[in-house]
Amino acid sequence: MIPLNFYLILAAALFCIGLFGALARRNAIGILIGIELMLNAVNINLVAFWRYIKPAGATMDLAGQIFALFVITLAAAEAAIGLALVIAIYRSRDTVNVEDVNLMKW
Amino acid sequence: MPIDYLPILVMVVVVIAFAAIALTFSALTGPRRPNPSKLSPYESGMPPFGSARRRISIKYYLTAVLFILFDIEIIFFYPWAVLFRQLQLFGLIEMAVFVIVLLVGYVYIWKKGGFDWD
Amino acid sequence: MDLIVFYLFATLAVIAALGVVALRNPVHAALCLAVVFISLAALYVLLSAPFVAAAQVMIYAGAILILFVFVIMLLSPGVDQGAGALKWQRPLAAVFGLALAVELILVLASAVLPAARGQYTPERLAQIGDVQAIGALLFTDFLLPFEITSLLLLVAMVGVIVLAKKRVRS
Repeated sequence: MIPLNFYLILAAALFCIGLFGALARRNAIGILIGIELMLNAVNINLVAFWRYIKPAGATMDLAGQIFALFVITLAAAEAAIGLALVIAIYRSRDTVNVEDVNLMKW
Repeated sequence: MPIDYLPILVMVVVVIAFAAIALTFSALTGPRRPNPSKLSPYESGMPPFGSARRRISIKYYLTAVLFILFDIEIIFFYPWAVLFRQLQLFGLIEMAVFVIVLLVGYVYIWKKGGFDWD
Repeated sequence: MDLIVFYLFATLAVIAALGVVALRNPVHAALCLAVVFISLAALYVLLSAPFVAAAQVMIYAGAILILFVFVIMLLSPGVDQGAGALKWQRPLAAVFGLALAVELILVLASAVLPAARGQYTPERLAQIGDVQAIGALLFTDFLLPFEITSLLLLVAMVGVIVLAKKRVRS
């Protein structure tokens, strides 16, 4: 049996890579892709914890998997809204580079 | 159990091997006598112009974005369909509430012209 | 055997994830993202969560990724050129990412996590069916989150139309 820590370390690595991507990219689509990576890392944690650790109550037994499904749903909604925002920004400013979208800056 | 997924792994390996073998075999055995018209992207076609990196108009992108939001429902519909008999009337009502809320969104998109081509 | 599969797909996922953030061409980054999604689906199978694995392939690799590729094709953001207005953005992002990685790995290396498992062991799940067990909980104890999900999707639909629909000139 694979130790739980292996999964957690993999998830931590993916989360940090996603964080780097979200911080380092200047194009809005790249930032959204980094966020998707981070959400995936969270999902590994949820499913791995379900598999290895006894949860509090009997009804919460499958919570890890069900939470993962909700996270997938949320990720889809987030991608749809995020990309719609990118398209709206592109329409009005003709760029997807977040540095050029600085009207709100003081 | 993970071992039940061996056929999928075998299929993946076969697919990769087939692509690799087909590419290497044709590269090794095919005759290569290039001339300018053979090397043009569309032989006997029109000459290409501009860069291939330009923007591609995808009129149906809005449909694609909306497709995602409706595609998600299979996660919930599938377990519901599996458990349909067990859940009985209660399951039908809860799924009806779920679908009605989504139908409101569908009607909204329709009224706003989200499905129009232009 | 399990360990080999884990190492194979974990390495694949990490390498592809590095490709996602390192490759400057957004189309290549999106293709690497597909590899990440599919390796993670394999890991879910290894964790005996086949329904989550199927959802991962169908929703993430099949829908979300396609959407990303569509938008990349539509907007053609081009390759990320070197440093922009914020010269320290990339190095600073690397510092933050690495700091978090070191922190998490230090915590995880020293953590002792109990190994007990709940009522639904993989053996039991295989017996009653993964989808049945998930559905039985999803439509009873998780009824409220499930119904709220439909509201979330409704909000997303309205948002997409408001943000991305071309205004009709009247």
